Amino acid sequence: MTTLEMIKKLSRSDKPVEPLIFEKHVDQQQGVDFPPLDVPETEIPISLIGAGTKLPSFGQHDVMAHYTHLSDRNFSVDGNFYPLGSCTMKHNPRINEWAAALPGFSCLHPLQDDDTIQGALRLLYETRTMLEEIAGLHEVSLQPAAGAHGEFTALKVIKAYYADHNQPERTVVLAADTAHGTNPASCTMCGASVQTVRSVEGQTDLDHLKEVIAQVGAENIAAFMITNPSTAGLFDMHIQDIADIIHEAGAMLYLDGANMNAMVGRIRPGDFGADAMHYNTHKTFSTPHGGGGPGSGPIAVTEALAPYLPVPQVMMADDGSFYLDRDREKTIGKVRSFIGQFGVLVRCWTYISACGPAGLQNVSGTSVLNANYLAARLADLYTMPFFKPSEGKFCAHEFVTVPRDLLDRGVTLIDIAKRMIDYGVHPPTMHWPMHDCLMVEPTETESKQALDHFVDVMRAIASEILEDIEKVQNSPLESDIARADEVGAARKPIITFKD
Amino acid sequence: MDYTQLNSTHREEMLQAIGIDSVEALFEAIPDSILCAEGLDLMPALSELELQRALKEMADHNHGAHDMACFMGCGAYDHFYPALIDQLISRGEFLTSYTPYQAEASQGSLQAFFEFQSQIARLTGLDIANASLYDGATAVAEAALLATNTTRRSEVLVAATLHPEYIAVLRTVLADLNITITILEATDGKIDPSTVEANCSEETAAVIIQSPNIWGQIEDWEGCFGRAHQVEKTAAIAVFNPIGCGVLKTPGECGADIAAGEGQSLGNALNLGGPYLGLLAAKESYTRKMPGRLVGLTSDGDGRRVFCLTLQTREQHIRGAKATSNVCTNQGLMAMRASMFMTTVGSSGLKEMAEQCWHKAHYLARELCNLDGWAMKYTGSFFNEFTIKCPIDVTEVVNKAKARGILPGVAAKGRRMQGLSQGNELIIAVTEKRTKQEMDLFVDFCKEVSS
Repeated sequence: MTTLEMIKKLSRSDKPVEPLIFEKHVDQQQGVDFPPLDVPETEIPISLIGAGTKLPSFGQHDVMAHYTHLSDRNFSVDGNFYPLGSCTMKHNPRINEWAAALPGFSCLHPLQDDDTIQGALRLLYETRTMLEEIAGLHEVSLQPAAGAHGEFTALKVIKAYYADHNQPERTVVLAADTAHGTNPASCTMCGASVQTVRSVEGQTDLDHLKEVIAQVGAENIAAFMITNPSTAGLFDMHIQDIADIIHEAGAMLYLDGANMNAMVGRIRPGDFGADAMHYNTHKTFSTPHGGGGPGSGPIAVTEALAPYLPVPQVMMADDGSFYLDRDREKTIGKVRSFIGQFGVLVRCWTYISACGPAGLQNVSGTSVLNANYLAARLADLYTMPFFKPSEGKFCAHEFVTVPRDLLDRGVTLIDIAKRMIDYGVHPPTMHWPMHDCLMVEPTETESKQALDHFVDVMRAIASEILEDIEKVQNSPLESDIARADEVGAARKPIITFKD
Repeated sequence: MDYTQLNSTHREEMLQAIGIDSVEALFEAIPDSILCAEGLDLMPALSELELQRALKEMADHNHGAHDMACFMGCGAYDHFYPALIDQLISRGEFLTSYTPYQAEASQGSLQAFFEFQSQIARLTGLDIANASLYDGATAVAEAALLATNTTRRSEVLVAATLHPEYIAVLRTVLADLNITITILEATDGKIDPSTVEANCSEETAAVIIQSPNIWGQIEDWEGCFGRAHQVEKTAAIAVFNPIGCGVLKTPGECGADIAAGEGQSLGNALNLGGPYLGLLAAKESYTRKMPGRLVGLTSDGDGRRVFCLTLQTREQHIRGAKATSNVCTNQGLMAMRASMFMTTVGSSGLKEMAEQCWHKAHYLARELCNLDGWAMKYTGSFFNEFTIKCPIDVTEVVNKAKARGILPGVAAKGRRMQGLSQGNELIIAVTEKRTKQEMDLFVDFCKEVSS
């Protein structure tokens, strides 16, 4: 097959499909050269030499073309409205990228002596203290690499605390039925078992919480993991009561900080009784998601839990210099190599410093305003189970819709979502935390024009369902590919290229 | 600047559409007692110009591989990467996209990750690889869990020569799971295959051996893994250096079942230790138990070859407490950098890089050993890193070298290396970036400091 024939066969839109690097390989070509060796050679024993790695390569111009073509086949926050609930796809300021790329940050080896990296340690120390202030908690560890990694680390810290206080039997963790899947998975990795607490109307069911505590036995419970606002997009009105109930049981309240964007600068988890929490800097603090990572998941804890935090910890000495403390007597040890996602934390420092305290307060206010505006404009066509402004029931920074009336006309939730792609809008989170729901989070950085455009798109899709349902059922019609067969992919997985 | 984009008219219109007077009304459900009335005690906002000044000032207070000759390694290396990577990775279509759950809107990321997985499989000589984990240490821990979950056994044998931070992370991860870590002691800086044989039993889920190891020594993977495989089902886990694979035998060639490693060397900056990327490859039989994201090949409704995330039922967002791992966010952008790097250099470029590392490291080792009192600590083969015994206090060597613009290596003693050694040893890494001139200056310095 010629390349043209292949492109014709594989391409759907005017954007040609890009062959795989293995199909583009050209013998004796590579995209970069090296200086000649400037020292005498030393023979490499034959017994150590391998057969060769068979990595494809080609010339530099075609390398550029390859990735440029691939980038053309991607939705992004830069190019698309991306209202992915619970993921906080906000604008990624480029000053953050500029900062992280400064050679004085990007060229530092993680095992260098503290006296050679005072600027970097200062940035880490300031990030630490800023995150402590935002959390209203005693101490932050910057080590965890992502939110789930933060959950794991904090649960380990909590377990270590109880082991140290002669209560090792506290191995049960409570989690809301709307919790992120990482919550129970992190518990498993810590050897803890999970008990689910019911939600009613997107709020923790206090009676059920008490029931579960009685059933499990207060003395066996380590923590309650709660997401606030909940994944249904609602502030938990009883959060203080919940904290009281959990503390009365002698356990800890853990806040999953995935939805911090609704609270930042306005509500401090420590003030409502959280004992530990994680941040997702790639959500709240604008560090880019990068197609799935890197993230960063700093955790904040109370004074009682602080002795157990992982090492190293960045500290300020009496003389104002900074150092890494590697000797915490009661530490849980290390959870990753070296110091943390430093490059991500540079972006986080830059964002918080750009916003300042008033800006952060405006971030949460505007993110909540934007979500409520969208909900208000769409509520007549897209049923909102929890959004009832006339009764004073608003959403937080995201809202859930279960568009039952539209679904009853013969489309699936996936149909609606895929049709959004035709309009250049990334689909919201689907079927979670409830079946048949869309979870929409516009974030604070969208303009009113963008919000109104999204309303127009959603209303247009609702009209299409009434007037031209097949168009929606067969969508996406204009995207790079038709619907991918995900079931087929899992049946016989092919996850590497074979000649 | 908080990057919001609403003016007062917009706000007014939006409040009206909702039917409220102020944004505060949206927070009414929250008791006043937990609202932060005073506002946060943080520095006031800085403009972009002020940020640039402040950041530049902090960056200028650091010294590192940009203004010193860096001979430091131990899991993070100052390798060359082509300028095109920083350019391509800055494309917002890659940088600002989410995990590619929506295949129809993410073919670019998906194809790049499929290519990455395929490249890592070829690099390690194994069948499959995932789309990255957090870093080398967590990848090794996930590899151990993959083996214990598959075999349902409760012990892992870990080479004493594995990176001490990786051992520390393994201890943290395995602590609450009733899995025992047995350390295999080294002889002359390496694990003797007979030590594996003596310790490997029906309870052994995995044998974990890093090569080149923390001292830079090339381990006898074939011998050790051969002994491990004398016990049925025991997994051989190779902790590898991806640049080394350019010339040395790969984990697959040496009989490994699983390979785990740090991918920073592949096109990623030193970044003071992160973000890096964990590499995890395995034989095909492990596919359905792999942790982390996997991209698979499939077809679309019209029969085209397309890509999508696959086997998601392994993952936390579907399986919850029974997931193969709690991993959600991975290191996608770093994996894409690694893939771009491998595509740019290919097998031939990687081989050239690896050979240059070998020749340069051996040159420096020879020159240092010609000095009075400086000697190799171990006798075995090494690749790009070696351990040298200093005739004087290693702390003095490091401190005086700094003043000369040299980062001379990593001292093996002290808390930073988790008490790896009590002696005056320096672990020295030499990449293709180090010039003969830099190495000769380093040797002159060592001669001077020890005389």
